[in-house]
Amino acid sequence: MGIIEVRDLHYSYPNATSPALKGIDLTIDKGEFILLTGPSGCGKTTFCRTLNGLIPHFYNGDMEGEVTVTGLNIREHPTYKLAQHVGLIFQNPDNQIFALTVEKDVAFGLENQGVPKDKMLEAIGWALETAGIDHLKDRATHEMSGGEKQRLAIASILAMKPKVLVLDEPTSFLDPLGAERIFRVLDTLNKEYEMTILLIEHRVDLATQYVDRVIIFSDGRITNQGSPEEVFTDGATRLAGVGIPRVIELNDRLKSKGILLDRTPLNPTMLVEQLRGHIKRGNANRKAVDPDLDLFTGEQWVNPIIEVEGVSFSYPSVDKALDDVSLTIHKGEFVAIMGENGAGKTTLVKHLNGLLRPQEGRIKIDGADIADLSVANLARKVGLVFQNPDDQLFSENVEEEISFALRNFGFASDVIDKRVDWALNLLDLERYRKSSPFILSGGERKRVALGSVLAWDPEIVVLDEPTIGQDYAQKERLRHFLMQLRTQGKTIIIVTHDVEFVAECKPRIVLMADGKIIADGPIKKVMTDRDAMARASVAPPEITKVFQQLSELGLPDNVLDVDEAVDVLSQVLEVSK
Amino acid sequence: MSLLEGLRFTRGDSLIHRLDPRVKFLMTMVIFTSAILFMDLLPLLVIFLVQIPLVFIAEIQQEWTKSLKGSVFLATIIFSTNLISYYFFQGRSLNTENVETALALTVRFLNLITSFSLFFLTTSPDKLSLALEKARIPYEFNFAFITAIRFVPVLADEAQSIMDAQRSRGLELDKGSFLTKIRKYIPILLPLIINSIRRSLDLAEAMESRAFGATRDRTNLFELVMEGRDYAVVVISLVLLAALVYMKLYLPPFEPLFPYRVLI
Repeated sequence: MGIIEVRDLHYSYPNATSPALKGIDLTIDKGEFILLTGPSGCGKTTFCRTLNGLIPHFYNGDMEGEVTVTGLNIREHPTYKLAQHVGLIFQNPDNQIFALTVEKDVAFGLENQGVPKDKMLEAIGWALETAGIDHLKDRATHEMSGGEKQRLAIASILAMKPKVLVLDEPTSFLDPLGAERIFRVLDTLNKEYEMTILLIEHRVDLATQYVDRVIIFSDGRITNQGSPEEVFTDGATRLAGVGIPRVIELNDRLKSKGILLDRTPLNPTMLVEQLRGHIKRGNANRKAVDPDLDLFTGEQWVNPIIEVEGVSFSYPSVDKALDDVSLTIHKGEFVAIMGENGAGKTTLVKHLNGLLRPQEGRIKIDGADIADLSVANLARKVGLVFQNPDDQLFSENVEEEISFALRNFGFASDVIDKRVDWALNLLDLERYRKSSPFILSGGERKRVALGSVLAWDPEIVVLDEPTIGQDYAQKERLRHFLMQLRTQGKTIIIVTHDVEFVAECKPRIVLMADGKIIADGPIKKVMTDRDAMARASVAPPEITKVFQQLSELGLPDNVLDVDEAVDVLSQVLEVSK
Repeated sequence: MSLLEGLRFTRGDSLIHRLDPRVKFLMTMVIFTSAILFMDLLPLLVIFLVQIPLVFIAEIQQEWTKSLKGSVFLATIIFSTNLISYYFFQGRSLNTENVETALALTVRFLNLITSFSLFFLTTSPDKLSLALEKARIPYEFNFAFITAIRFVPVLADEAQSIMDAQRSRGLELDKGSFLTKIRKYIPILLPLIINSIRRSLDLAEAMESRAFGATRDRTNLFELVMEGRDYAVVVISLVLLAALVYMKLYLPPFEPLFPYRVLI
């Protein structure tokens, strides 16, 4: 019998029109490391809630079927009992930290169980060390970075020594290196302590490298499961709207060109090792691309629209959040600002519509100094869309939400009606016109927030972390949408740490670290500048990692996505018979 | 709000920081009572001067000056309302005694501010909650207290993000009449409230997952233990209190500092 046994599990939330889980059967053995993925709203999170009895004890609703975890039937045991066997870790680390200092927070679960002090100290020491934060023991919790907070959340659960660890999108707020650190912690727990781990993730590239089994959820059911090789090469997975890890995708595409590798690669190194034997010496014949030209439109930029000149800014608590930053962005350009959390990216974009004012230096928009212009005035030109849609939605229905800014700007009512129609259409929200924004899903709320800014047709659109928490299909949709905006001649700036998204959009990259711009240029140049990338703590895209290892064989190292990779490789690889 | 600034805990490792919170509370209460006990300028000034070295031992002089600066406005009001009422009740005349009393009351106020600063600036909320627990206050209240403090910075960040987002959508908070201004806070308050409700659900789930309420016999990572210096401070405080009460009850009242003279 497995450590987790689920038999014919059905569940509906109270007042829900359709069930969230529609017949789940699953056995998980001790020591397995499992990736659970699927499009947003497919029931993954709901499923997690059954594993420590939050469903049915905390959430009412109708539950049918049986769930047994470490031999305990979840119906018969309260959550506080189950919590000692199954640890749940959620997406937002801020909402799972209860104490003011690190050590005290790790103790919280143990205190609740009445564990004596000496045992508590021992467990805390182990948990902090395993999560790699023992040096932060006395730190105040609100002074930690996002990645540190998430590792604290893990340590706090580990201290209770659960046999099963369930993590619900633990890395979605983290930069790529922060995410990698979390995965390494999980890997250690799995290998050294035989902990059973169930990980929910949208970002499959990294996760695939660690897990034994992949389970695909779709519409409240398990639609596919097996080893990563099996699941990600199966057409059904693609149909469920789940992203395929890039190296596997590349392997698939090579296969269709007649290039067969012995084993399905799960990480860049595995792919490189197999490719080596197949590569005929010789150079790939590539179209010469002028690296200074825009990769998407092939244009050279001439008209500056944003000019940032020597801007410095300090917060009361952070010295030099921006340190002598200069940057020129041209009309129609597409720019991605990247870097670690806290590098100054968001601080910089907040200067563009006057939310923050430079303490030194100046900013010109469309040739005019903005020092004397109000935020409301600047916002007409520079539309800023923030990361979390819930920080701005407040209206009774979507229509009103979208017209809010238009009313603030004093548009005539017939113009407002037209603009609202236009925005609803553009973002495919027409059917929600009269719905409350609060009942929409996360992805839809994000679209409403975007629509509420695009409605007034700003010339410059700035998006702060647009891909956070978005699944594969939503990201694809966003990418197409951005391309569409580009064809309308808009200047687009995104702040992001999603390298794969950037690799597919191919914008100009501005790399930031410690409040400074450390590299700026076309993506092909910046992504292959290893020093700058390391300083900004940005990991290159998966495909680029492959080509960086292949460059010693004379292949180019600045290949960014699967299409390009297939193009290059099909010229230098021998076709198997 | 700089008055409250002087009450926010600042980390430190001074002798005062390390005192048992219960003992520190007793000390603060003794200072507090002595300030209430006397109405004369001389003893109140002495109490004020006695606290200054304590402020320096605790290394909180910066924060303390901040809270003093913040209380200038209230102090001025206390001083001037006293003088003005004397002036009118005595038939439009003032004497040195009146000025001395008004000054005394102002110093008494500063004494209260200082004693509270000494306590709150040097007592971490964690220790405060331990003290509450020792006082047999149910753990649920304690937990709510700590959680409230824990989420102050989180909520402040969130309020800032919401303001930024709405201002970016053309909301101008400082324009319009008083009533329209109030209406303009709706787009800020609503998301804040809704997010807090969402957050409370998240928190409840996380609490359950950390075995909250598993046993009535909770243990505590840190226990309050009275040490030698704590007992010493208890003794000193009590002796001082006794001496002050004796002084008040059995010794003749204090002479005024300035000779009597009619001013107006």
